[in-house]
Amino acid sequence: MKQKFNLGRAVAVAKKEVFHVLRDPFTLALAVVLPVLMVTVFGLTIDFNPRDIRLTVFDADRSQASRALVETFQSSGYFKVKYGRRGESLVRDLDRERSRAVLVIEPGFQRKIGSHLNASAQVILDGADNSTVGVIIGYLSGIQRAATSKIAKGISSASSERGIGLRTRFLFNSELRSDWFVVPGLAVVVIAILSVLLTSLTIAREWENGSMELLLSTPVQPFEIIVGKLAPYTLLGVGAVIFVYLVARLGFEVPFRGSHLLFFFSSGVFLATSLAQGLLISVALRKQQIAMQVAMITGLLPSILLSGFIFPIESMPLPFRILTSILPAKWFMIISRDVFLKGAGVISLALPLGALLALNIVFVTLATRHFKKDLEP
Amino acid sequence: MSESQISVQVENLTVKFQEFTAVDRVSFTVNRGEIFGFLGANGAGKTTTIRVLCGLLLPTEGRVEVAGVSQDDGIDKMKTKVGYMSQKFTLYNDLTISENLAFTASLRKIPDDIFSARKKELLEFIGFDQSLTTMVSELPGGIKQQVSLVASILHDPEVVFLDEPTAGVTPAARARFWGLIQKLAVAGKTMFVTTHYMDEAEQCDRVALMRAGQIIALDSPENLKRLTFPEPLFEIEPPSSAPSGWLERVRGEPSVAEVQPYGQRYHVRVRDLAEWETFVKQVLAGFRSHPIKPSLEDVFIRLVEGANR
Repeated sequence: MKQKFNLGRAVAVAKKEVFHVLRDPFTLALAVVLPVLMVTVFGLTIDFNPRDIRLTVFDADRSQASRALVETFQSSGYFKVKYGRRGESLVRDLDRERSRAVLVIEPGFQRKIGSHLNASAQVILDGADNSTVGVIIGYLSGIQRAATSKIAKGISSASSERGIGLRTRFLFNSELRSDWFVVPGLAVVVIAILSVLLTSLTIAREWENGSMELLLSTPVQPFEIIVGKLAPYTLLGVGAVIFVYLVARLGFEVPFRGSHLLFFFSSGVFLATSLAQGLLISVALRKQQIAMQVAMITGLLPSILLSGFIFPIESMPLPFRILTSILPAKWFMIISRDVFLKGAGVISLALPLGALLALNIVFVTLATRHFKKDLEP
Repeated sequence: MSESQISVQVENLTVKFQEFTAVDRVSFTVNRGEIFGFLGANGAGKTTTIRVLCGLLLPTEGRVEVAGVSQDDGIDKMKTKVGYMSQKFTLYNDLTISENLAFTASLRKIPDDIFSARKKELLEFIGFDQSLTTMVSELPGGIKQQVSLVASILHDPEVVFLDEPTAGVTPAARARFWGLIQKLAVAGKTMFVTTHYMDEAEQCDRVALMRAGQIIALDSPENLKRLTFPEPLFEIEPPSSAPSGWLERVRGEPSVAEVQPYGQRYHVRVRDLAEWETFVKQVLAGFRSHPIKPSLEDVFIRLVEGANR
């Protein structure tokens, strides 16, 4: 004789859970402060396209042409120019990390240009920091083109022959703004933290206390416990998604080009998957300490490191690329970014949506099965 | 005794966890309004038995019936008839007293008006005079235990299972708690208590002793003492000047059945009273010796040792 689901009991469990969250400073901080902190830190500090790179210039030519070259660096906005002193070691500034790059212009730079010889200038980069080097090399080709035309204009009053102009246009994020790329991805990270981490603690806490026995000695049903326990975290997760959405739109002015329905639907699916993952951890481990560590390793870290949030999946070794496919975070990362920036619809997101739904079913089934097996006598 | 007087009935209960048999063909009945003590070492099967009776565990074999409801009627129905208080957990520390009680009441679906009446009545019953908005974490252990008892009987169960309810509280709080247990029993509730304290066991109407999954003795404390120790029992205390080898002489004395050390003293079970008294006069001069009534502790040592033999 099974009793029917009783909403009142589920609500009682939920209410108690809210008290636990509100009265535990650690959980409360995790729930409220962390999302805000993540959005601020990641949104404001991660910049894949550094600006104001310090550049030390040794101009031995001191000609109109050499000044034009330096001027091009300066006006690109990417570099901040500082002149090196004569006789100083060329790499001294690099050594002391006073600059990231050195530009050396040999004497006779202008003369060579004037006589249509190959004129060149040397750029020395700090290879110890390979993340900026890659970006700087990318900038250099643009600067080279700009400088060539500028110098050519300055030297021969007769306009010289025009080279073929290369124009690149970046679709979806024309200014290549990193925050546009990062902030929509934060929805993934924040949900992963809140749902996996907090949920992983909730059932484990009852086992550790010994209060699960007491709960079970009342007619409360396992399903009511699950619903009651997860409801507050679901609300929290929904709140976090809305928070990230608002911060993205209002704070970082990220364009939203897709369907809100699709975005919030897939957020919901991802949220449910993460809650199930947390629940599974909690039910299986029954100890808060271990549950939290496992939640960190399987929920938080992959969502930051392996989801493509910062490090592109395409450049990972093959085994890792395969591994990322079983991470719900990877799929929701694609959906979130594409819906925001590309305005992608259901059809173009069929694969990530399908994968996310499949993982959702797997996690929810595993969690409820394990939970029922544990709690039913 | 009429049928309705029986409150807990256990027939051939066996609980196995894989290969391990925690409870082995146990049968007993508990009467309504009885204080039934459940004793035994950790791992003897006490808690497992209680978990079955509370509907937390299904028996591998056998039949249990609690307050007229058997496990075949559904464990949920059984759960409405029993109250359970465990040693491990009493109340949520980060909730106030009234939040804790309200939580239990909602899980048990007690209507609001009945809940507030019961709450008031029960808190008066335990003589609780603090604010209901006190956080449980601020309560002393003894009070916490009493409020926890209130939580476990809010739904007016017929049988209350208390699993080591007084572990870790002061002797004064223990005495108060046992006062409450007795009052509830008088009011008609069946109180099923496990304990490690012998003085608590003495206060039970009947006591069952469990060992290795079986009940090896079940009777009132008085009967247990009488039946286990039909012979007179003496306590002797050797003087500091006692000659070496005296203990061997006592053990070798034909009128002595058994000697058990109790700290500085010894309990001697005597076969023949007259011969023993002569022996004391002749051999144990300077010893303090007087007849004692066996304590439950004597009984359990005897029974468990006997079973081990």
